[in-house]
Amino acid sequence: MKTQKLFLSILIIGIMSFSSKAQTADEIIGRHIAAIGGTENWSKIKTIKMEMAMKMQGMEVLITATQANCTAMRTDITVMGMTGYSIVTKTNGWNFMPFQGQTKPEPMTDDMVKAAQDQLCVLDKLSRYKETGDKLEDLGKDDVEGTECFKLKLTDSNGQENTFYLDAETFLITKQTVKTNLNGQVMENSIGMGNYQKLDEGVVIAMSTQTQGGEIEVKKVVINPEVDENLFKLPN
Amino acid sequence: MNKLLLPFILIFAGDALMAQTKVSSSLFSVMEARALGSGTMSGRITAIEGVVADEGKTIYVGTAGGGVWKSTGGGVSYKSVFDKYCQSVGALAIDQKNPQVVYVGTGESNMRNSVSIGDGMYKSTDGGDNWKRIGLDSTEHISKIVINPNNSNEIYVAAPGPLWSSSTHRGLYKSTDGGVTWQKILYIDEQTGCADILIDPLHPEILLASTWQFRRTPYSFNSGGNGSGLYKSTDSGKTWREIKNGLPAKPFGRIAMCLAPSNPQQMFAIVESSNTGLFISSDGGESWKSQSAPLNIVARPFYFSTIAVDPKDPKRVYRPAFSFSYSSDGGYSFMDASYDGAPIHSDMHAIWINPVHPNIIYVGSDGGVYMSVDKGVTWQFIPNLPVSQFYHVAYDMKEPYNVYGGLQDNGSWMAPSAAPGGIGNGRWEMLGWGDGFWVVPDADGKSVYWESQGGNMNRGILPTYKAESIQPQKTASEEKLRWNWNTPIVTGANNPHNLYVGAQYLYKSTDQGRNWTRISPDLSTNDKLKQKQEDSGGLSEDNTSAENHCTIFTISESQTDEKVIWVGTDDGNLQFTTDAGATWTNVSENIAQCGVAKQAWISSIELSKFDKNLVYVTLENHMYGDHTTYLAKSTDYGKTWTRISSTIFTGFAHKIKEDTENRNLLFLGTEMGLFATLDGGANWFRMKNKIPEYALVRDIQIHPRTHDLIIATHGRGIFILDDIRQVSQLRTEILDKDMYVFPTPDFVLSQGKFGYGGPNVQGEWATGNPPFTPPISYYFKNRLSSGKVSIDILDEQGNLVQTLPGTILKGINKVYWNLRETPPKVAAGSTKIDGAGATAPMVLPGVYTIKLNVNDKVYTSKVNCIHDGSNENLSPAQRKLVYEKAHELLKVYNNLNATIDSISLLQTQLKADTVAFAKNKKLKAKYDELQKIKANLTATKKTSIFADEEKIREQISKLYSAFCGMEAAPNSMQIESINYWSDEYAKQLALFRKLANDNKNKAPGKK
Repeated sequence: MKTQKLFLSILIIGIMSFSSKAQTADEIIGRHIAAIGGTENWSKIKTIKMEMAMKMQGMEVLITATQANCTAMRTDITVMGMTGYSIVTKTNGWNFMPFQGQTKPEPMTDDMVKAAQDQLCVLDKLSRYKETGDKLEDLGKDDVEGTECFKLKLTDSNGQENTFYLDAETFLITKQTVKTNLNGQVMENSIGMGNYQKLDEGVVIAMSTQTQGGEIEVKKVVINPEVDENLFKLPN
Repeated sequence: MNKLLLPFILIFAGDALMAQTKVSSSLFSVMEARALGSGTMSGRITAIEGVVADEGKTIYVGTAGGGVWKSTGGGVSYKSVFDKYCQSVGALAIDQKNPQVVYVGTGESNMRNSVSIGDGMYKSTDGGDNWKRIGLDSTEHISKIVINPNNSNEIYVAAPGPLWSSSTHRGLYKSTDGGVTWQKILYIDEQTGCADILIDPLHPEILLASTWQFRRTPYSFNSGGNGSGLYKSTDSGKTWREIKNGLPAKPFGRIAMCLAPSNPQQMFAIVESSNTGLFISSDGGESWKSQSAPLNIVARPFYFSTIAVDPKDPKRVYRPAFSFSYSSDGGYSFMDASYDGAPIHSDMHAIWINPVHPNIIYVGSDGGVYMSVDKGVTWQFIPNLPVSQFYHVAYDMKEPYNVYGGLQDNGSWMAPSAAPGGIGNGRWEMLGWGDGFWVVPDADGKSVYWESQGGNMNRGILPTYKAESIQPQKTASEEKLRWNWNTPIVTGANNPHNLYVGAQYLYKSTDQGRNWTRISPDLSTNDKLKQKQEDSGGLSEDNTSAENHCTIFTISESQTDEKVIWVGTDDGNLQFTTDAGATWTNVSENIAQCGVAKQAWISSIELSKFDKNLVYVTLENHMYGDHTTYLAKSTDYGKTWTRISSTIFTGFAHKIKEDTENRNLLFLGTEMGLFATLDGGANWFRMKNKIPEYALVRDIQIHPRTHDLIIATHGRGIFILDDIRQVSQLRTEILDKDMYVFPTPDFVLSQGKFGYGGPNVQGEWATGNPPFTPPISYYFKNRLSSGKVSIDILDEQGNLVQTLPGTILKGINKVYWNLRETPPKVAAGSTKIDGAGATAPMVLPGVYTIKLNVNDKVYTSKVNCIHDGSNENLSPAQRKLVYEKAHELLKVYNNLNATIDSISLLQTQLKADTVAFAKNKKLKAKYDELQKIKANLTATKKTSIFADEEKIREQISKLYSAFCGMEAAPNSMQIESINYWSDEYAKQLALFRKLANDNKNKAPGKK
């Protein structure tokens, strides 16, 4: 009987310690990388094209994002009959938003380019933090719209801060907050992510992004399409 | 069965029981309260600090009950950065060597009767984005934090300590490891804390500290005693010696100090004593001499404990106190600030002088933050800090309803719950002066009762605000009337024409306060030992009615019987009458049996709407040093009581409120949070809902028509949580379902009651209006991390009207439909954005189907869309006409867009062979002809947003948008215009068809 009690105690302590064991930030990131399909699958992506739509009370804004991994990105936006775009490369960035009154592409400021370059790689920044050298902080847990999340913060060499909220059960990013200083203006933006789907290529991506303007739904994803590099150059 | 497994089975069975859905704020994250503020009267500011490295662009503001606010634009705009923590702030400090490191000492130290309580020190290492609690949890009040300018890890914290009790948790604390550990380095006794600390910036091992003996009881205040003194250390706080040379005879009260940064040997101290005055030292505090004692120096030393010197000019001295005064001769003479500009609010507690640009000064007062750019001569008000300190809130039944409330040191106010353009500062209107408390509208819709401190009550008339004093007076048969600082003024919950006010007696009026009847004996304990307020204050007499005691504090008339009235006092009596005051029953002994403090203030009484025997009472005992959350319930009309407790409760209790629809839904407001229960008090959760988690919740109301939860906070203004019916409906049987669709109330076909109203974006505090239509609501037991939610709206014929993206949140989800169909697609080819693509006709009355698609599952429900009968400008027939005309235009618009698309397609085909196109002039001519038609159809020339161009599409689009937005009958010209522009389009269509046909006929291969 004494032996049984001892065994039981050990077992209970074992179970309790297993379930209550705090996870390190690296362990959380490891679980996150596994949840989104693993680095090997992501490393196979050289280009990606996503067709998206933002719906606002029936009106649709169409967005096409074309990305050459860690090299360049172009986003085309069609709003009520007009189309604009933004281009970001490793060296430059431009915006052409005719619906905002622009009549020709205008260069982004250096700070804007640096901030946008943060998003040039297809794999999220959190999963790459060791290679980028960003400072990682484990900020414990936080509640995001009712869901318990791990909260991890990255600060890069430019001082830009990315805070990631990972669903404590799925390890998928529920929310990401970016805080940056753009030409003297401290800007903070948050996006929510949901409807994670596994693609044939093995990667898991968010098919829904919640922004302040509304939900952006991914309609179509093409992995490794042929992309004309002229797409990332300014039209003459 | 193996017995060994039994414990596991029990454990897992327990887990299974626990698996029942736990109600928490996580289920209501979609419900976000609107913060009405206001910023126009703001609230008490306790600390201001700026970052030197960015020349004062970054500023932190600490408040008495509204947390910490940060500006990165020198005060142009602010963001709240402390919403998850204790809202009472005593001190702030920035590590100027690494300005991302910020310290907050919680617990204000301006020790007035209504001061709140802190829970220790907090530290941020990322400029206020994230905070960590770092100790000194029991100090309750912190007055100053100083960082060694040469060693960021060395921090000194002056803690006056608890106001209402003896404590060892007071004195001067020091950390040498950046706040990880603390040592108490100066301690006098359990009655004496540390009020101020100076560090010599050139020799940071030299410290000067003032100690302060003080104490409040519910009925008295004392500042002063032999514990108070001035102490100096020259070895970083290891040893201290008391400084007396040149100072007045002890006992002292509170001592406020500063030094001249440009000459740290030059020091200034306001010493409260029997001869309070300003003393100066020119030898680093070793010896002092009396310098001056003007009114603003000697005024209320316990409350005004701030003095500062210009960073570059040792003779320029500032005294923010009762008024703002400045000296240019080292404190010998003072001049008050000019009223040319914003008249700076009385009662100041914080100052920050920009060290880089000393002309720029920020001051924190009882009424918010002011900024000066001329060394304190003139001031401008910062209008975007919504930290107003309400005591109570009331509502009326107007449409939209108004909220009413009184503010600490900022009078009595009202504001609409919604207004054109939202609720900005300008929507708030001031009814009365002084400290405001109860502000109660009369049922007549034009009278409002308001008061200032000590029961000075008035009846104001809207909209002129003319007011008549209505305070009941003592008669020969009564003792001197004792009015609480926060005297209750209450209208009847059953008979709203009954008006009650309470001194130690209860008074009732049925004619708006013109005549009063005393309907009770003295309902307090009438303890004479607690009625010596004229002796209150200590070294400086201070009797402002704040310590009045043995008074009525709470009055509640039954919702079902006007003869039933319950009354609670500030000295523990709980009494009721069932015969409109003829006889009274005291149940204070009964309630004390359940474990609540006997002498505690009865802070609120809630008589159930659903059960006449059910009574809830909150009590608060913090003035005896007891912060316990006391909530009790009786189901037998006060004979016996049950204490309701929860491990999640924080702060002493101010208000209990029963929901109007669900008797098990209760809300509790405390000094540190808003709590709710869905099971009558067995289980509670902290409400977040964009309300600071430790907000000082003083009052809670539920509007009976809109079902809005209206919350009065003492530091963050008024919050409205719009329409809480989904919370009321969340019963266990719903909570345990994976998914549930709430019934959708009728949709009134209207765009709301308001027009444009102008933008509320002029830098002032503003909040938006509630949604103009109810939401489509559903519940998810868990967040939908994978999968898609969308909502299809179908008309009675099954046609798709609009598809809305759904949300995937855990708990309640709300999706709003704009009551319109789907906007048209806009053809490309124009140089102008087309607004028609953003609007669509509003649907006609009828029953519509809501198809909620959750992955492959469909949940179908119905909603009734009804004509807006309140709109006198639009009959049902006119609504139909508007709808039909909008569709007529839509048809033309869609056809026109199709024509533009066809033209563009044809142009593309013509240009397909670029070589042929370049050589063939006919192709070019045809292309140009097509372009000409396109240019007639839509704007093609526009090269700037300042060069407007309107062609047929733009005209039709404008007309279509006008019809879509119409909530009145169209005029005849608008209707005629439809035909005109349709004809214009038809002409261009004919031209295009002709060209298109020509092209077909002449296409290659054709003869």
